Amino acid sequence: MISFIRKNYLIIFPIIVIVLIAQIEKYDQLTTSGTFGAAIRLAIPICLAGLGGMFSERTGIVNIGLEGMMIMGTWFGAWAAWLYGPWYGILAGIFGGALFGLIHAVGTVTFQVDHIVSGVAINILAAGVARFLNVVAYADQPTQSSTQSPRIDGEVGDFTMPYLSGGYDTPSLFGYLQDLNYPFISDFAGLLLGASSNLSYISLFALTLIPIAAWILWSTPFGLQMRSVGELPTGSESLGVNVYLMKYIGVIISGGFAGLAGAYLVLESSGIYREGQTAGRGFIGLASMIFGNYRPFGIFMGSGLFGFADALQLRSDDAVHGLLVLISVILLILAIKQLIEKKYINASASIVMSIGFLIWFLNSETVPSEFVYFTPHLTTLIVLSSASQKLRMPQKVGQPYRKGELN
Amino acid sequence: MTLAIELSNISKSFPGVKANDKINLKIQEGTIHAIVGENGAGKSTLMKILYGMLKQDLGSIKIFDKEVNFASPKDAISKGIGMVHQHFMLADNLSVLESIILGMDRASLKVLNKSKYSDEINQITEKFSMPLNVNSMIDELGVGEKQRVEIIKVLFRGAKILILDEPTAVLVPQEVKELFNNLKNLKDSGVTIIFISHKLDEVLDIADEISVMRGGKHIDTVSSNSVSKIELAEMMIGQNLPSPPKREKQSKEKIILSINNLSAEEVNGKKAFSSINFSIKEGEVVGIAGVEGNGQRELAESILGIHKIESGEIILGQENINDLNTRDRRESGISFIPEDRQSQGLLMDVSLSENVILGKQSSSKYKSRYSNIKFGEADKNSNTVIENFDVRTPGNETLALALSGGNQQKFVVGREIENKPQLLIASQPTRGIDIGAQSLIWNKLRLARDHGLGVLLISADLDELIGLSDRLYVIYEGNLVKELDPENATPEILGSYMTGIKS
Repeated sequence: MISFIRKNYLIIFPIIVIVLIAQIEKYDQLTTSGTFGAAIRLAIPICLAGLGGMFSERTGIVNIGLEGMMIMGTWFGAWAAWLYGPWYGILAGIFGGALFGLIHAVGTVTFQVDHIVSGVAINILAAGVARFLNVVAYADQPTQSSTQSPRIDGEVGDFTMPYLSGGYDTPSLFGYLQDLNYPFISDFAGLLLGASSNLSYISLFALTLIPIAAWILWSTPFGLQMRSVGELPTGSESLGVNVYLMKYIGVIISGGFAGLAGAYLVLESSGIYREGQTAGRGFIGLASMIFGNYRPFGIFMGSGLFGFADALQLRSDDAVHGLLVLISVILLILAIKQLIEKKYINASASIVMSIGFLIWFLNSETVPSEFVYFTPHLTTLIVLSSASQKLRMPQKVGQPYRKGELN
Repeated sequence: MTLAIELSNISKSFPGVKANDKINLKIQEGTIHAIVGENGAGKSTLMKILYGMLKQDLGSIKIFDKEVNFASPKDAISKGIGMVHQHFMLADNLSVLESIILGMDRASLKVLNKSKYSDEINQITEKFSMPLNVNSMIDELGVGEKQRVEIIKVLFRGAKILILDEPTAVLVPQEVKELFNNLKNLKDSGVTIIFISHKLDEVLDIADEISVMRGGKHIDTVSSNSVSKIELAEMMIGQNLPSPPKREKQSKEKIILSINNLSAEEVNGKKAFSSINFSIKEGEVVGIAGVEGNGQRELAESILGIHKIESGEIILGQENINDLNTRDRRESGISFIPEDRQSQGLLMDVSLSENVILGKQSSSKYKSRYSNIKFGEADKNSNTVIENFDVRTPGNETLALALSGGNQQKFVVGREIENKPQLLIASQPTRGIDIGAQSLIWNKLRLARDHGLGVLLISADLDELIGLSDRLYVIYEGNLVKELDPENATPEILGSYMTGIKS
């Protein structure tokens, strides 16, 4: 138990703090099923992008082009969904992302272009291509525009867990528990209810990809070869691994995930393709990948955090105010950790910031609205910077590899 | 006895170099066959050809009397050849099990049968008594264990011929002993071992037969019982060995460096060294002997101002340099030959003419009045170093990474000596390089000493320490436990102080 707490204190203490704050009525939105449901929907595209980044970086290719691949996902997703229906949109989104993944792979693996350069090029190219395609594809539509698609009809349907969350007209256990308003129990029931009701099938599909990704990478020969390529390409080659092929597959899968993330945005949140709707989520996905230490469940946690802050920002300004305490507590934990490690300068900076946030919380009723939109990013930033405990990136990520060269 | 390997007329050229010239070599099954030669003699090229990493221009390879044609290491592996590289091909982020079974299965999506594999690996480790925990991560292992993983990796693939490229270069003496025991076990169960090394003592100890290579040619193959170390060395460099130069006692008295009661700052609850006292006079080489990790590296670094000190004084000439930073210390006349030339001594992707600037980039030697770098000066000085230290390179515009290890080291040593320091800290100045480069560096160090340079010599090579030093200290667990006169010191005596048997 103690070792469990020691390992996961960065997750456990913030959760306890959130629950405690949520007991105050003003902040009760912090832990309702509505908030959690929204958090999951907001987290999924980031999580998918993060998983995409993971597949690429595990094979040693830095994929800063995730954002561009996601843009292709949004455009192709919207276009195919408009023509044939949502599930085709998903497929086309994956295809569009994977196509740009292929371009990135050709650049970085075959032509040894610097990964960052190629990624930036992908991002710029994707924005231009999407606009071009948009003009061409919807030329004869009355709503023709270079930046938007027509509205997409068609539903994929959603799923609510029977008995636990009241799907299919069964009683809802979690709903009952949530309404009891017991501390902790009701809060966790809210979390579970949010996570298991009104989930679209696309969301379900996306969520099942997380364990599948973990299984592929850690339980199959294919995954082992993939990971080895990012760690030690020369050695892998000498053991019969086809390094180029693995890198290609990794980057293409990466693009596919990013494309799926884009299609998800179109189909789940807006019902329309709009220029700029990815809004940097590809980059946030990269951040969640680093936060998650290049592991699928870590990435899910990272994106969940961002989704949670994002959902709060949408649902309630008051609840965002409650986040200030959370930030203060995280900084305090960090300070204690730094004190133990005798990093006194870092620790005092953390303490000062922690006290600053606490004073701000105590002396204000709400957070200024300009700040509200920024909270998801800020929270993510602070958690990211505090969570860099034992990051372990693939050893040879970002380094060019030429077959037959010893290094 | 059957022949495990028969190479006939193997030739391989690279642009401008004939790396292998009509090599003929026969290796008996179930023996340990050493291949020795200077750096650049073509040993590595030959082994890469044998392992399928390179393709020979001419000639044929027979394995167990069957002619083979390797397109890649995979083919070589399937014919029972396995290679353990000098730099381990292991990823820190994988487990031992994963490292060993990597590439055994096709890249499919079926489930890896980890328990079956770990049983098989355990059988091998028991058979050859090389204990190993298959579930540890590679980065938790020591160097000797990593090497064991590499050996088991190739045995697991059914290797009957094992190529070991400089296997002892990274090991401490106890680990070498353990490795040799393992190799003897392997030999007894019929494995053929090819052992590549510079270290003639070890080769004579472990090998049955020894082949000498020089300048891409196979000079001779001799039985290890019928040859002496000196004969081998002469075959390797193709001339008589330079006679060990005599040491002339210097009578200068001016003290260049004195270290008074120096203690290192605690890192992770441990002080690397404490209460160190010694001094270096003008024209004197002071040697520090010690098993790696006993504080000698930190001592050198603290004189340079890299490692922090807690108390004590470092006095260079008359001046206390405790408060100077590394740059100022270098400018007041300390030069440093780092133990790892590739990561600390050179920028590998940069030309020699720019590399010569390193360490003096902020001094007026290379910095003009307007803070531009004097590239003309660098060009001139790099050529001086190349000429005076016999660095074999096409020119000073060549990148450092294109040079062989010995030539890189000669360049580093040359640069530091040509900077005309008062004090030179030489950390493992001849580690991992061939005899030719080694004797050149020794001569140059002596010459510089005769001109008044004070040298702090830190080395794991005890013969080097005894041969070069005017005074010797032994460092053990961060303390200088003994001062010895090199006239009377032997490796055995040093060894017993270094391991704490005597104190």
